[in-house]
Amino acid sequence: MNGLHGIIFSYERRGELRELGEIRSSASIPFGGRYRAVDFPLSNLVDAGATNVGIVLHGHYQSLLDHLGTGKDWDLSRKRGGLRMLPPFNSRQSWGIMPFRGKMEALAGIRSYLDTIRQDYVALMDGDLVANLPLRDILDSHVKTGADITVVCGNDSFATSDGTYFEVRDGRITEVLFNLHQPRGYRGLEVYILSTKLLLELVDECAGKDKYNWRRDVLQARKDTLNLRAYTWSGFAAQMRSVKEYYDRSMQLLDPAIRAELFTPERPIRAKGTDRTSTYVGPDGVCVNSLISDGCRIDGTVENSIVFSGVTVEAGAVVRDSVLFQGVSVRRNVNLSYVIADKDVEVLADRTLMGHATYPLVLAKASVV
Amino acid sequence: MKKECIAMLLAGGQGSRLYVLTGDMAKPAVPFGGKYRIIDFPLSNCTNSGIDTVGVLTQYRPLELNSYIGSGLPWDLDVSSGGVHILPPYMGSKGGTWYKGTANAIYQNIGFIDMYDPDYVVILSGDHIYKMDYSKMVRRHKESNAACTISVMEVPWDEAPRFGIMSVDGQDMITEFAEKPKEPKSNLASMGIYVFSWKILRKYLTDDEANPDSDNDFGKNIIPAMLGDNQRMAAYRFAGYWKDVGTLDSLWDANMDMLSPETGLDLRDDSWPIYVRSVNAPPAFLGRHAQVAHSAINRGSILEGTVENSVLSSNVTVSEGARVSYSVLLPGVTVEPGAVVEYAILGEGAHVGRNCRVGGKPEDSDSGTWGLTVLAPGCTLEEGREARPGIMLGHNGEEVSKS
Repeated sequence: MNGLHGIIFSYERRGELRELGEIRSSASIPFGGRYRAVDFPLSNLVDAGATNVGIVLHGHYQSLLDHLGTGKDWDLSRKRGGLRMLPPFNSRQSWGIMPFRGKMEALAGIRSYLDTIRQDYVALMDGDLVANLPLRDILDSHVKTGADITVVCGNDSFATSDGTYFEVRDGRITEVLFNLHQPRGYRGLEVYILSTKLLLELVDECAGKDKYNWRRDVLQARKDTLNLRAYTWSGFAAQMRSVKEYYDRSMQLLDPAIRAELFTPERPIRAKGTDRTSTYVGPDGVCVNSLISDGCRIDGTVENSIVFSGVTVEAGAVVRDSVLFQGVSVRRNVNLSYVIADKDVEVLADRTLMGHATYPLVLAKASVV
Repeated sequence: MKKECIAMLLAGGQGSRLYVLTGDMAKPAVPFGGKYRIIDFPLSNCTNSGIDTVGVLTQYRPLELNSYIGSGLPWDLDVSSGGVHILPPYMGSKGGTWYKGTANAIYQNIGFIDMYDPDYVVILSGDHIYKMDYSKMVRRHKESNAACTISVMEVPWDEAPRFGIMSVDGQDMITEFAEKPKEPKSNLASMGIYVFSWKILRKYLTDDEANPDSDNDFGKNIIPAMLGDNQRMAAYRFAGYWKDVGTLDSLWDANMDMLSPETGLDLRDDSWPIYVRSVNAPPAFLGRHAQVAHSAINRGSILEGTVENSVLSSNVTVSEGARVSYSVLLPGVTVEPGAVVEYAILGEGAHVGRNCRVGGKPEDSDSGTWGLTVLAPGCTLEEGREARPGIMLGHNGEEVSKS
């Protein structure tokens, strides 16, 4: 066996993320106080020994490029391989303007890159799945069960918009479903392992017939001829495709058991380092049941919230049940609850802003309220 | 490759006055301010001052320092035309020796410096907390056409006898240097930061090496010799925060200073960032009953108890019902329920068991006996143990004397 190659998809727009998704690809959405969603699949791949990861991009990727840099923070700045950014560079058609219609079209767009893969197996992953998956075990199980494609499924009660669902019997996938009004079966995490050889065959076959949809043209079409097997993961696995999902999943991190699992020292989640100083909590600051990142200054009250780096909460301000992204300033006597404030938002003194648990208020990047 | 200016950072000190706290590391690798190590300050100052070539002279227990500096990337010193170089003592065909003194350490690396053929060399030490633009000091050196420029700061007259004191003329040119004078003629103290014109320093280093009676030290030998020869010696006045953190008390003081930017140590100022090699851990979690006030906290920590007037590094645990005040907790410290920690410095990975009492307030102690309580890295205190004010415990939990 000769290792695992990672391909991360970051080209889909998630409209239901509202302002959070307008300015960035969903892979670079900030999560958990100091991470971007893509840190999770990247760290999982690196932990499983992958030294080559390609990221398929299409539009709105400046934020992702800024975040990933050379890949050094994930040990993916390598002499051979390492991190490769893959904008659509292989197209004879006008793909440079139109988004990909599906994963198979995206893969056809990087066909020459696929030829350079030296590893025997490929993991296909979405850039916005927040989970800490034991990919090494999943690959072992893929090899051991003799699967053609291993499909990683979540085993919890969460649904996700535009999700893929699988019916499974004795580990084998018997039905592939999507666009379900009422989800049933296991929720697919859009993580797939297959051999490089099979991947190349499928890409060429689909391209030749102008088929572009992975779920329909590969999984559904071939579920009887290929051995599709499920690997069920019962841990935390967040697909955040709407503001509501983003908010609910963020708040789950206040549960110590979920943090312990998602941030297990066995498989550390790596993220870009910062040069921010320690966080300072002032003499009258109150900070309870909250995650607080570096370089913040808290002189007011923060409760049940997730606070990214470089946030200021001035005296008299009260922040409850909220998510404050990097560089947010909350001035004196402000009241926030159920708010997601994007990067560099400033809420001026004495304002009160309230969303609701079922409809968190999103403040767009750099807006001043 | 020709460079106008390079820096040499003396990082070989063993930090003997930090006693057990240094554990297996050299003093410049000692954590500071919750997030930093002492050496981050001179390295970041170099980068921010436009100096991209730095030699770090190591000698004592260099492993931790070497792995911390690595390629120099976090300080933007991973550059092919210079960058950061670790310079331990080495053997040549005629043998080799330890660095006998600060001047000898530079002397042994004349070959390294000559590779860059610099006009000026900045000599720095690895145990000071300060932000300084060395390029301004180099400009002062050039404009005064000096052979050597020494940065100085005004200290209170009653403290002057603890420093190397410079007397200056009307142009701030140094006329006299006195090491720890009983009756100081000036209150301008040397900060141990020098700029030399390399050709001149090179000659003095060679002459000094040939003198068997020399201590091979900048302060004791090189500077007096240059003054004696009437070389042009300029003072560069520095005003701002500067602290030698070579002792337990001053290290604790500097940590407390960073909680109050009005002391002059403002680490949130983005215009002069202090870079670090950061630890990978999730954000700090403050629990439902956490009471954290006037304190610094860092990632990976889980805080459920009471923390006041303290500096907490990364991966610190303070359990519910524990109380930490006026203390400095280095990375990975655990304080279990019911324990009380006051006026203490707890080394990396120290573990304070349930209901322990570590340290105490000055006002509760008999006069003259009070001091900071220090736990060595890895020291574990079992349930209910007391570590009274002013004592030090080694990594095995036994009391260590300061003599």
